[in-house]
Amino acid sequence: MVRNKHLLFIFRLVVGGVFIWAGVLKIMDPLGFAQNIKNYRIFSHDTSFFLALVLPWMEALCGIFLIIGFWRRASALLTSAMLLGFIALVVITIARGIDIDCGCFGQFSRKLDYKLLVSDSLLLLFSLSIYFFKPKKLA
Amino acid sequence: MNFLPSKNIIWQVLAILGLSCLVGIGANFSLVQKYLKGEFQQSFLSRDKYPGVTFISLAEAEQLFAQKAATFIDARSQEEYVSGHILGALNLPLNETKKGVAADQLQALSERSLVIYCQGGDCETSEALAKILYESGFKNIKVFQGGWAEWKQAGLPVAEGNGPQ
Repeated sequence: MVRNKHLLFIFRLVVGGVFIWAGVLKIMDPLGFAQNIKNYRIFSHDTSFFLALVLPWMEALCGIFLIIGFWRRASALLTSAMLLGFIALVVITIARGIDIDCGCFGQFSRKLDYKLLVSDSLLLLFSLSIYFFKPKKLA
Repeated sequence: MNFLPSKNIIWQVLAILGLSCLVGIGANFSLVQKYLKGEFQQSFLSRDKYPGVTFISLAEAEQLFAQKAATFIDARSQEEYVSGHILGALNLPLNETKKGVAADQLQALSERSLVIYCQGGDCETSEALAKILYESGFKNIKVFQGGWAEWKQAGLPVAEGNGPQ
């Protein structure tokens, strides 16, 4: 059990930081992000557009909340849900053999590949720890 | 450890979702208005950012082809190009073009109107290539979204092999 409050605080900084970074880059280019979503060939044109407007703000808000410690568990629940969704998308896209940029960090996005699964899973682990474990002082 | 979210947390989650929708739509209100007017139906390319990039139908592509009024660019991979392409089209595979378009290639194409196509259907490479070429100085770019599939089905002139003809 992860009860070390320093460790949980570092998890919050890491997950929060990554989500703020990812969110802000996408907020700056909603149309580019809409195209990135559409490239996955799962969501319709309208859904891609709507997600491109809302998802980046959700990422940034959750990231800020995690770092400042406001609605910490709710934010961690949401980042976990988003990460689960991203992982599912990456698995489906690799399985379908679609070769695209992941679109995760706006113009700094990299190719979608299995390495993305590793980093997403690690973030998910951190995020779930924040949700499940109450920070306790070390004895 | 609490596995199930409490009522409080569910409300907080809903509040974050609601806030994201509000801010996301509010901050992009002008985009939403343009979207509702139908501006981004063909593509998410911004007309303000790429004013020289337009989208054309098979009939328009055929007309430009017949009048020899444009250079056709195939954005697919070299293998796909070799196995069949629009007669006279040049191959600029997107993945290679990302690393930079060769200066001589650009020069040969300058001042011409370009028609860019990829496989057709859901393929996005033609649009991505259009953006890159627009940024490298081409201001008259047409994206033929029907692409290779539509052209071939219509029985229009095609070629095979490494060269355009």
